Amino acid sequence: MANLKVNICGVELKNPVIAASGTFGFGKEFNEIYDIGVLGGVSTKGLTLEPRLGNPVPRIAEGYGVILNAVGLQNPGLDVFLEEDLDFLKSKNTAVIANVAGKTLDDYAGICARLDGKVDMVELNISCPNVKCGGMAFGIRPESVKEVTSVAKSALKRTPLIVKLSPNVESIAVNALAAQEGGADCVSLINTLTGMVIDIERRRPLIANNTGGVSGAGIKPIAVRMVYEVCRAVDIPVIGMGGITCAEDALEFIIAGAAAVQVGTANFTDTLAMPKIIEGLSRWLDAHGVKDINEMRGTLVLN
Amino acid sequence: MKELRVTVAENVPIAKNVYKMRFLLPEKTEGLACGKFVNISVGDGAHLLRRPIAICGYDETSVTICYQLKGAGTRAMSEKKVGDTLSCVLPLGNGFVVEEQEKRIALIGGGVGIFPMLSVLREYAGLGKEFYSYIGFRNKDAVCMEEEFSALSQELHIVTDDGSFGDRGNAVSAFFAGIDAANPDVIFACGPTPMLRALKTELSARKVNIPCYVSLEERMGCGIGACLVCVCKRAGGKGNARVCKDGPVFAIGEVEI
Ligand SMILES: Cc1cc2nc3c(=O)[nH]c(=O)nc-3n(C[C@H](O)[C@H](O)[C@H](O)COP(=O)(O)OP(=O)(O)OC[C@H]3O[C@@H](n4cnc5c(N)ncnc54)[C@H](O)[C@@H]3O)c2cc1C
Ligand SMILES: Cc1cc2nc3c(=O)[nH]c(=O)nc-3n(C[C@H](O)[C@H](O)[C@H](O)COP(=O)(O)O)c2cc1C
Ligand code: FES
Repeated sequence: MANLKVNICGVELKNPVIAASGTFGFGKEFNEIYDIGVLGGVSTKGLTLEPRLGNPVPRIAEGYGVILNAVGLQNPGLDVFLEEDLDFLKSKNTAVIANVAGKTLDDYAGICARLDGKVDMVELNISCPNVKCGGMAFGIRPESVKEVTSVAKSALKRTPLIVKLSPNVESIAVNALAAQEGGADCVSLINTLTGMVIDIERRRPLIANNTGGVSGAGIKPIAVRMVYEVCRAVDIPVIGMGGITCAEDALEFIIAGAAAVQVGTANFTDTLAMPKIIEGLSRWLDAHGVKDINEMRGTLVLN
Repeated sequence: MKELRVTVAENVPIAKNVYKMRFLLPEKTEGLACGKFVNISVGDGAHLLRRPIAICGYDETSVTICYQLKGAGTRAMSEKKVGDTLSCVLPLGNGFVVEEQEKRIALIGGGVGIFPMLSVLREYAGLGKEFYSYIGFRNKDAVCMEEEFSALSQELHIVTDDGSFGDRGNAVSAFFAGIDAANPDVIFACGPTPMLRALKTELSARKVNIPCYVSLEERMGCGIGACLVCVCKRAGGKGNARVCKDGPVFAIGEVEI
């Protein structure tokens, strides 16, 4: 059997398949369907210092081969996570990645300081509106990507920092470089692409928030291209995601240069998607005589 | 709950734009009960979300659902033939439970909301309960399952929006017209949100103190409680509840409708 273990900034994952933030909660529900200990890691629902109720419903809609969501960061707040969910996740012997969000730089500093040393990695969601910057997301301009990264990094003495990049920007490679300069240990991408679906009878957007984040199978070619561009731009490890549904999809990201992958929407289509991807990777590598998944990484040959 | 590949055993129209599908379970499945639902894949690559559909009936080896054709997903389901397989996650959510001491049960169903009511009748048939059923349809073309409702209910009132079958009216007004005679120990309801809202308003206006449980609908992502897509508001500002996991059946006073 081929080796599936990967090492990302000193954290060993038993395989490169991680549950994407927001699609997997804190793991308890999926663990009723299968043992989530088989996963390389779990990125939690986006956490904020205070509990948040999120957006009005409907929060979800479908497009062809994609979905749109606007959950609006509903979460129970950091305290509840630390008290009620962290021990369970840790007991499953899978890497725990705390996905965090905030409205101000102080929010990011505060939440990172409190998570330092308690989880395997922190993943910074910088797609949220920055209240001090007229509501423009931290993740849009390279200068603010660098600033929020360095603020988070200085609050994290022991835990590696992943910065999760938004695709709704001028150049995702430039923003990746800004994160690296700000001190990120790793970058992950892509977060959702902003979209809209309209109910023509009511002449209104289907989602209460009007716009939503597009994810799922249909966004994969865009995500692969962006991961490829970012891998060329930075020296730190890259975690790729966007539309992965099977082992072959995951391998595209790894060949483009990703050290690991995350799987989001596919968990909705198929609750067993991730265990199937892990088995599929193992089968593919064995069938192709590849001894170690790390041998696949960044092996892309351009035309 | 688990994900299974189920095999279509029957998939036929039972009223205008309403289909009944019975599918076979490949293995023994614990926890099937009235008021719970299944989350079924429509079986093509274009639709990434499963469709939540109430359990209408079940036995050791199969489950029956009844669904209305709404959009592309339910249309794709209606094209499935006997022997085709679909991926299904089940059983999901909390269902309707009749307590030992509750003998007289009022069932109020509107539109596709009649199917979970039928599942209650089927589950508690022959257990010494009396059912008073009030079911409403848009018009006579939409009427279905009336014979089974009639066979299992002490009393059945069928109404249609246009009076083309039974009395003209809606299920909630039919219920309030019969409430004193029925004198129920508990009330179960499922139907469109305006119907449930009218029920809630009228119950409190009349100061009726009978326990009442309603089944809610909301658009879903995961269907198992992980993604926080399907929420409704808990009454009294107590935050959100997940329709898929904390519901879909709630005490009427527990949630905002
Ligand atoms: C717990 C529960 C039980 C249900 N039981 C039944 C039943 O027994 N019989 C029946 O006919 N219908 C039932 N519904 C409604 C049914 O889920 C929708 O009619 C169906 O999903 C529509 O799919 P579509 O592809 O035809 O429509 P589209 O409008 O094309 O669907 C697009 C998306 O919106 C979702 N959606 C659309 N309408 C609804 C809705 N009313 N509720 C939830 N999601 C919706 C779909 O699931 C899909 O993800 C139930 C809904 C819930 C939440
Ligand atoms: C319902 C839903 C909720 C999400 N919530 C978050 C979140 O809280 N934080 C975050 O960084 N990303 C969130 N995402 C984005 C995913 O983690 C992922 O980046 C995106 O969906 C692309 O991957 P996919 O195509 O495999 O779903 C969410 C996605 C979905 C579908
Ligand atoms: S649909 Fe995911 S929590 Fe209900």
